[in-house]
Amino acid sequence: MLQIIIEGRGGQGAQTAGNLLASAFFAEGLEVQSFATYGGARRGTPVRSIIRIDDRPIRTRSDIERADAILCFDSSLLDARLLRAARPDTLIVVNSVREPGHFANALPGYRVVPVDGIGLARRHGLGRIVNSVLLGAFARALEAPPLAVLERAISDEAPALKEANAAACEEGYRTVDAQLKRGMA
Amino acid sequence: MRNAPPDRMLLTGNHAVAWAARLARPKVLPVYPITPQTPILEKLSEFEAKGELDAEVITPESEHSVMAASIAASLAGARVFTATASQGLLLMHELLHYASGARAPIVVANVNRTVASPWGFWPDETDSLAQRDAGWIQFYCESAQDCLDTVIAAFRIAESVLVPAMVNLDAFYVSHALEPVSVPGQELVDAFLPPYSPPHRIDPQNPESWGNVVSQEMYCRHRRDLGEAMARVFEVALETEREWSRLTGRSSPIIERYRCEGARTVIVAMGSLCGTARDAVDALREGAEAVGLLKVRLFRPLPVEALRAALAGVAEILVLDRNYSPGYGGVLHQELRGALYGIADPPKIHGRLAGVGGVNVSAERIAELVREAAAGEARRESVWVEG
Repeated sequence: MLQIIIEGRGGQGAQTAGNLLASAFFAEGLEVQSFATYGGARRGTPVRSIIRIDDRPIRTRSDIERADAILCFDSSLLDARLLRAARPDTLIVVNSVREPGHFANALPGYRVVPVDGIGLARRHGLGRIVNSVLLGAFARALEAPPLAVLERAISDEAPALKEANAAACEEGYRTVDAQLKRGMA
Repeated sequence: MRNAPPDRMLLTGNHAVAWAARLARPKVLPVYPITPQTPILEKLSEFEAKGELDAEVITPESEHSVMAASIAASLAGARVFTATASQGLLLMHELLHYASGARAPIVVANVNRTVASPWGFWPDETDSLAQRDAGWIQFYCESAQDCLDTVIAAFRIAESVLVPAMVNLDAFYVSHALEPVSVPGQELVDAFLPPYSPPHRIDPQNPESWGNVVSQEMYCRHRRDLGEAMARVFEVALETEREWSRLTGRSSPIIERYRCEGARTVIVAMGSLCGTARDAVDALREGAEAVGLLKVRLFRPLPVEALRAALAGVAEILVLDRNYSPGYGGVLHQELRGALYGIADPPKIHGRLAGVGGVNVSAERIAELVREAAAGEARRESVWVEG
């Protein structure tokens, strides 16, 4: 079973992102579970989205104590509280303008992939709505789900700017792809 | 029906409830929003607005008025559905008794959420368990699929015995969990659930009176009638389950035994904890520990005979309560002690307050609780589990 946490602040779209990710894996024929818990349905408070993916029906209904991967919508949330749910090999994708080297120093022992979500979202006319960019970036780092499947899930569900959201997803994907290739070079 | 659903859809527990209600073709939907139930009524309003559901949506000013409108519509012969949670259910309390006394077979979905004070949004079943004496049938659901199947079955059972039914689902773990759900076609549900046609109804053309002042003897007889109707629920639920299983291939018994064969310890739980407990049972069985799960899906009427039969010969019982009755403990724990009183070779019954207020309970924690219970003495009172 693959266990994923998406951590964001109320209003950023972490819950929607969790459901979109689950939809994409479901479209791939996998079993999924996605839910969010929030501390009062208020804008700005931390929201945690829980996503489980498996090739057999998912029965457990609890929080994720140790995640295989974390997508963090706001670098101010990448703190000890969130890292309690991480192991050293947990993939962490974070919305941040900082370089990978910064996180290698700040959080030694963790695998952190930063992506400038706001910068890329603005370039696609999406303002501060970063979830399409971050999902693309996350899918590349996680190597699943396939970009085309994720883009379709985003275009199907986006209430507006379907093409801009799909393009933002793709750019997030490509940006991380380039970053990872640089890292390997 | 337009837009026939594909067989397997990704739905939250809330939206599975809304789909089930839509397929049941209710005529009146009095609704009032409250977290975490609001997506149910939003989806139903959307179905109605798109012309996919032919029902009158009413928006009274409180949950108390929602139940008042539900009773009136039900007594006029309409199929009625509504949904609520926590404080909303508590505000309905007075009229819950009225609905069962008036024999109005309304179906209510209640999303189990902590009751104030303090304020919270977390899964906790104290809200509905506090209504256990209100004369309503009560179901507790484990998954979105369980919600869909149970809401549809609840209409058939409630209308057969003329007793209202409450279908409960845990906040977030079920209400907001998006997961694959098999959604039956309208024709299948129409065949399973014929239109509601009660023997008596409020009808200006054929006046009858309702809710009169009665004598002591009449009141007493009325309560006994309600009890007899409740007692018929077991048989009706069994017949309903058989028919649903024949049509869909899915079976939802009033109590379900999961890997209980030869079990030395049986976990007894309701709602979302059952899913997590299944994983705990599988892990323990892999380690050759004889452990099973008994899922209590129907809590009112309490299936006492079925519980006694299912738990006969078991050495240890671990009851998990995601609720708390201050001054007595876990409601299921204490009810089970009563249900099993006088059984031959009585099992040790360990009650654990696990997940109260939405505290996380993992499969690993449940496995630990099983081992700890087997190693210790059973206490009369329910024991708090640290998160």
